Amino acid sequence: MEIDTQLSLMREMLRVNLWEERLFRLIEEGRTSGFYHAGRGQEAAAVGAVSALRSDDYLLYNHRGMGQAIAKGVPLDRLFGDFLGMTEGTTGGLGAGIVHIAWPEVGVLGQSGTLGGAFVLAAGAGLSIRYRETDQVVMCFFGEGASNRGTWHEAANAASLWKLPVIWLCENNGYSISVPASSALSTPQVADRASAYGMPGVVVDGMDPIAVREATDAAVARARAGEGPTLIEVMTYRLRGHYEGDPETYRSREEVDQWRLRDPLITFPERLLASGVATQDDLDRMKAEVFEEIQAAAEVALRGTPPGADRVMQGLYA
Amino acid sequence: MAVMSYARALREALAEELERDDSVFVMGQDVGAYGGAFGITKGLQDRFGERRVFDTPISETLIVGGGVGAAITGLRPVVELQYADFVSIAMDEIYNKAAKWRYMHGGLFTVPLVIRAPEGAANGGGPEHSQSPEAMLMSAAGLHVVTPSTPADAKGLLKSAIRSNNPVLFLEHKGLYGLKGEVPEGEHLVEIGKANVVRAGTHVTVVAWTTLMHRALEAAEQLAAEGISVEVIDPRGVNPLDSETILESVRRTGRLVIAHEAPKTGGAGGEVAAIVAEQAIDYLAAPIVRVAGADVPIPQNTALERFVIPGTPEVVAGIRTVLSV
Repeated sequence: MEIDTQLSLMREMLRVNLWEERLFRLIEEGRTSGFYHAGRGQEAAAVGAVSALRSDDYLLYNHRGMGQAIAKGVPLDRLFGDFLGMTEGTTGGLGAGIVHIAWPEVGVLGQSGTLGGAFVLAAGAGLSIRYRETDQVVMCFFGEGASNRGTWHEAANAASLWKLPVIWLCENNGYSISVPASSALSTPQVADRASAYGMPGVVVDGMDPIAVREATDAAVARARAGEGPTLIEVMTYRLRGHYEGDPETYRSREEVDQWRLRDPLITFPERLLASGVATQDDLDRMKAEVFEEIQAAAEVALRGTPPGADRVMQGLYA
Repeated sequence: MAVMSYARALREALAEELERDDSVFVMGQDVGAYGGAFGITKGLQDRFGERRVFDTPISETLIVGGGVGAAITGLRPVVELQYADFVSIAMDEIYNKAAKWRYMHGGLFTVPLVIRAPEGAANGGGPEHSQSPEAMLMSAAGLHVVTPSTPADAKGLLKSAIRSNNPVLFLEHKGLYGLKGEVPEGEHLVEIGKANVVRAGTHVTVVAWTTLMHRALEAAEQLAAEGISVEVIDPRGVNPLDSETILESVRRTGRLVIAHEAPKTGGAGGEVAAIVAEQAIDYLAAPIVRVAGADVPIPQNTALERFVIPGTPEVVAGIRTVLSV
């Protein structure tokens, strides 16, 4: 993979991670809710996949999807603004904790609060692309748990039937809150289900951003060429609780520790150093630059304006 | 004025809007070459092609949710649920996605989606193919719920719904498809959320929609012979509900009957009654009467169906009740 691409994957993973680190501080300070669903551990999956998209491609991210939204280009100050409940946030001050961030100018279409609710919207966005005869694609993120929704069947069938330019991006992190995948899936892998819809299904190491990126590049090329959807299942792990404060009674410390060894924020920099793509100085400088960017964005957001009661009735109808 | 059926008025509205705007498309089960389960889209695929008018699999969440996805990316989908009862299958897509997507994402999108769904009892459809679910969707803030009662309104409201930047649940009554009536020539638009005072009167106000609006007119005609003057108001939909027109009328007549096909319990008539009680109770000379469907599933046997859905005699009886006080 091109050196520049590898470095941009690294930088983007740092943006996701340092943004989230800053958010944790805001949560600790009581400025926003602990209902936040951390993406810690899943940075390579989010960044590897979304970095394969163009700015005009569509993204339906999911509830653990701030890394996905950041990688797609949502302005970081506005994202902080959403969590702080400021008017300057993308939702104009509606949300904190789990929010419906969107940013149409970079194709971020939003989030379904009901898990699996986005499948059919993604198919509809794909239909819209085909109708308008552009070469955009739409990427829909979901977990292995949400793949059990009936909406998956309806959307996957239609997307394949109509050869819609959809990338079904499943982050299999092993658990739907507390229920392990083995207790919820009828097949060993979510990707096994792809054959039922006549589309390719691939399983990728979700802790390796290059592997995720390469698999997604192939799916995007296929979609742009009018050959239809692809199901990519990235095997990943969330290193924090489902929410901040989750007692995590459903998994062992040993299991989490095993996955920590594969933390992409540790393994990927090591790989860049070992292959000579970057020096420690390069990485340190990159981290310092991203840190500056995040701090500046947080400062802008903290100076924002909380909405008044009149906000509640605004924007209901066009 | 041209005289045409309610079904043809709907078809004309679809054809005119498909002709007018390339971002309008029609999808649903059997809406293509077959022309729809009730023939409403007949001939449209021939005329506009498979790109603009096409069949979907039996996938209601896809039909509505896919419509939402297309609507937030620049198109104006008109999707068809084969029966209005099927709103329950696509409830997340209607109640949470179509209605809320714009609001919850900070007003960054518009959702110009029309969900056509034939409602109402007609010829023994049975418990899952005869219902009128407008009240179920009344609390879906962000959604409009429209119920045309005449061919003119069928055409004018559908055209307005397609041009609206808001999602509209368009509940056409399948028992009215064959009803003929005058429809204005040329561009005919009817404003969404504006009630129609179908018949002016002074003694009692009847708020009624779809089939019951027609039963109310029959009742009004029958009672006119006895010197009773009935005002009939068709709200044309329950969200937005034109409460001003209803309140103005009730303040004049002092008596209110509300009539609809849906079951009385949880029906939209309850909301109309509550609004009148809150804002005009001092004007009421008699308790409000609701003439509504029985609180039972609708039997398939047409001989029994007619005991569940109120007819003209029930509306007459309701009017006599409010006049007896």
